[in-house]
Amino acid sequence: MLEKMAGEALPNGIVENPLAESNPPVGKKKRNLPGTPDPEAEVIALSPKTLMATNRFLCEICGKGFQRDQNLQLHRRGHNLPWKLKQRTSKESRKRVYVCPEKNCVHHHPSRALGDLTGIKKHFCRKHGEKKWKCDKCSKRYAVQSDWKAHSKTCGTREYKCDCGTIFSRRDSFITHRAFCDALAEETARVNAVSNINNTVAGNISYHFMGTPLGPSMGQHFPSIFKPIPSNDEIINPTTRGLSLWTIGQGTQGHESMGNNSLHGIHQQGSVSSGTIFADPLVSCSNPPPSDYQLNWVFGTKLSSSNAEALTSTSVPPSDVKEAGSQLLSVPSLYSTQHQSHQAPSANMSATALLQKAAQIGATSTDASFLGSFGLKCNESQIEDGNKLCGLYGSNPTLANLGNNVESSAGGLLEMRPAKRRHTHNEDSAGGQTRDFLGVGVQPICHPSSINGWI
Amino acid sequence: MMSLPPSLGSPYPWLRELKSEERGLYLIHLLLTCANHVAAGSLENANIALEQISLLASPDGDTMQRISAYFTEALADRILKAWPGLHKALNSTKITLISEEILVQKLFFELFPFLKVTFVLTNQAIVEAMEGEKMVHIIDLNAAEPAQWIALIQVLSARPEGPPHLRITGVHQQKEVLDQMAYRLTEEAEKLDIPFQFNPVISKLDNLDFEKLRVKTGEALAISSVLQLHTLLASDEEHLRKKSPLASKNMNGVHISRPLQINQSTLGELLEKDVVNGHSQSPDSSSSSPISANASAKMDSFLNALWGLTPKVMVITEQDSNHNGSTLMERLLEALYSYAALFDCLESTVPRTSLERLKLEKMLFGEEIKNIVACEGAERKERHEKLEKWIQRLDLAGFGNVPLSYYGMLQSRRLLQGFGCEGYKIKEENGCVVICWQDRALFSVSAWRCKK
Repeated sequence: MLEKMAGEALPNGIVENPLAESNPPVGKKKRNLPGTPDPEAEVIALSPKTLMATNRFLCEICGKGFQRDQNLQLHRRGHNLPWKLKQRTSKESRKRVYVCPEKNCVHHHPSRALGDLTGIKKHFCRKHGEKKWKCDKCSKRYAVQSDWKAHSKTCGTREYKCDCGTIFSRRDSFITHRAFCDALAEETARVNAVSNINNTVAGNISYHFMGTPLGPSMGQHFPSIFKPIPSNDEIINPTTRGLSLWTIGQGTQGHESMGNNSLHGIHQQGSVSSGTIFADPLVSCSNPPPSDYQLNWVFGTKLSSSNAEALTSTSVPPSDVKEAGSQLLSVPSLYSTQHQSHQAPSANMSATALLQKAAQIGATSTDASFLGSFGLKCNESQIEDGNKLCGLYGSNPTLANLGNNVESSAGGLLEMRPAKRRHTHNEDSAGGQTRDFLGVGVQPICHPSSINGWI
Repeated sequence: MMSLPPSLGSPYPWLRELKSEERGLYLIHLLLTCANHVAAGSLENANIALEQISLLASPDGDTMQRISAYFTEALADRILKAWPGLHKALNSTKITLISEEILVQKLFFELFPFLKVTFVLTNQAIVEAMEGEKMVHIIDLNAAEPAQWIALIQVLSARPEGPPHLRITGVHQQKEVLDQMAYRLTEEAEKLDIPFQFNPVISKLDNLDFEKLRVKTGEALAISSVLQLHTLLASDEEHLRKKSPLASKNMNGVHISRPLQINQSTLGELLEKDVVNGHSQSPDSSSSSPISANASAKMDSFLNALWGLTPKVMVITEQDSNHNGSTLMERLLEALYSYAALFDCLESTVPRTSLERLKLEKMLFGEEIKNIVACEGAERKERHEKLEKWIQRLDLAGFGNVPLSYYGMLQSRRLLQGFGCEGYKIKEENGCVVICWQDRALFSVSAWRCKK
């Protein structure tokens, strides 16, 4: 029997071919497998006009168009117009599938009907319609507005660009391309030749692995990107092979480039250090030990002392800390030549040496002349301050209350235990100040001989 | 030697007249005196000493002045801990910028050769152990510096047998650091076309969940621990404290308040334990028995867990100094020598005006010194120990030493030479490598495998 027509169907040439008579089971709609319409569904064939129809229901007030009458009605509420919504009669609801009106289309046949009205509309537009929507960034055109919108959202946002200029939207194709890109190989070789630590790698430790030891056994194991074109061999500075960007610098650039003092320095350094393991490629191409790379590469070398003069900007101004951070990373030798300028005037003993000296002094004297010198100074300054100071050292024999503690006090400075013990014994007089330093008076437990105990 | 100028303002004008060497020696004595007082609990005297030192010490001055500044700050911090409320209040508004912390780590990497040598040796040990392996998994217990693994990726890609399938699991507390690592390493591996995967694990070491490391069967495992293991020695203080009769806190420095017969010898022994802050003995190494490594439950279980992963090689880098003594004075003295050496390194290679140097000294060394001097118990993380102790410990945990190769040492030497500063030296000790400044041992690198 004839089924009632679908709500939107227009009376022009609609044919219905019910595939089945029975009603579908009530309850939750389930999705069919794609391409396999429900055999019990009602097949609807809409006309092209219907499928491409846009807004046939117009609002009389503002002229806005709607595809469905219900939507128009809802819109009319906003104008305070009388409106009426037709209730959807749920009793006779039956699954509907749609066929494409285009005769040569696959979906024209009911067995390949699409289950979704919106789907069939979009399908018809995409396949049999005119592409009216165009992306403004690229040249792609779309028939369906939603496709166009979706594309323009992502167009240009995620791109991979090879150095040769080709653009990829997909990462995997980009990577594959790069492996074989000729332009990239040239670029690599060129950078090799210049061998500049350039802070193009700002913020990165510029561990550009440039030097492939061109030994034959090594070469084959590198991805093609890094295989230097033979003609580049001459370009590549011999000592750069196997050397990190940092350590290169033999003459091919002046140190004026980016304060690459390190290069300059290494220039001279390089000739020293490159002689041996660090790949003198001209000499031993055959099998430079691979692990050299890590040395050269990553950790580079610092400047030798010969080039301090080249470094003018050795102390990075505070405002540049961040950049300095990145510069630091790429040019560690910024700080290296300081030892050159460590003029160490004779007064500037290293702390280690000072400690050793202090140990010696402590060891050899009980009433150290050293201490004594301070004690003497105490005399000259205000007495009470002097008391305090001397109290610390207790080396001044003239101060009565410390008199009997010259030895113990001198020792006390330098010994852990006696000092501690002395203090405990004087707990009751803990309130005292200067007098208490040395556990004055009570029982000097002094073991001068164990001065060496701690140093 | 010094005449006293007419006094103008400063109560100790003659102090200014001191020449650098004398000032340095004076500072040493003041420091030790102060430390003595702190250890003994005489805070008044300690205060006076601190004031004296403040006239001479300075973070911008010469080496000894700088060191003194940080040591006295540490001592002051220690004193202040006797007033917990005060201490907390003074530290409550500290801002720690992660970017600064990261910068400081970078500075340590750049301004010193230590990490570089470590990386060279570690990588060499790994490469040698992984010869012929097709699937390599590396666990980095402190994944902060991409340079190390970038270098390794390079080397592995150049292997005669071709690069292995490489996985690196990086453990760190800060996500940003791991993100950066992931990015750099993945980029590098892609360039060299090595199958590579980086797995970040955001975690502290002491509560590391080993499941997260995802060690799979069939892969060859290498573990790298750079200056991390010692933090695990700080642990489980609570139960030790409760058991110990020494625990007693008090504020005015008089430390012993329980009934004990007070005779000299016991007092002396008790004084050996540092009770100023009320903490009892932590699992410290005591200098009197260098052979027996003190037990630490956390360390043991961690090493066991590592052993359970059956790594093919494990490379451990640690500070080679004994900063884990049980008494303040022990630690302070050792630390004085070690940090004097480190500060000397910087003095020889970086100008005094350098802000980077200042940051490094303050934010890295200053903090370590503070930890060593002012903290006790679980708070004290910087428990550096000598190499022989680590050797013992690892041996007990079931690891056998793998001597570092001659080739690695050679590379390290060359690196040091290239660094351009004469003071750095390398020596070999029982198959391990020790990096020194002049004669002072500073860092040790050793490699281990699982003993069956």
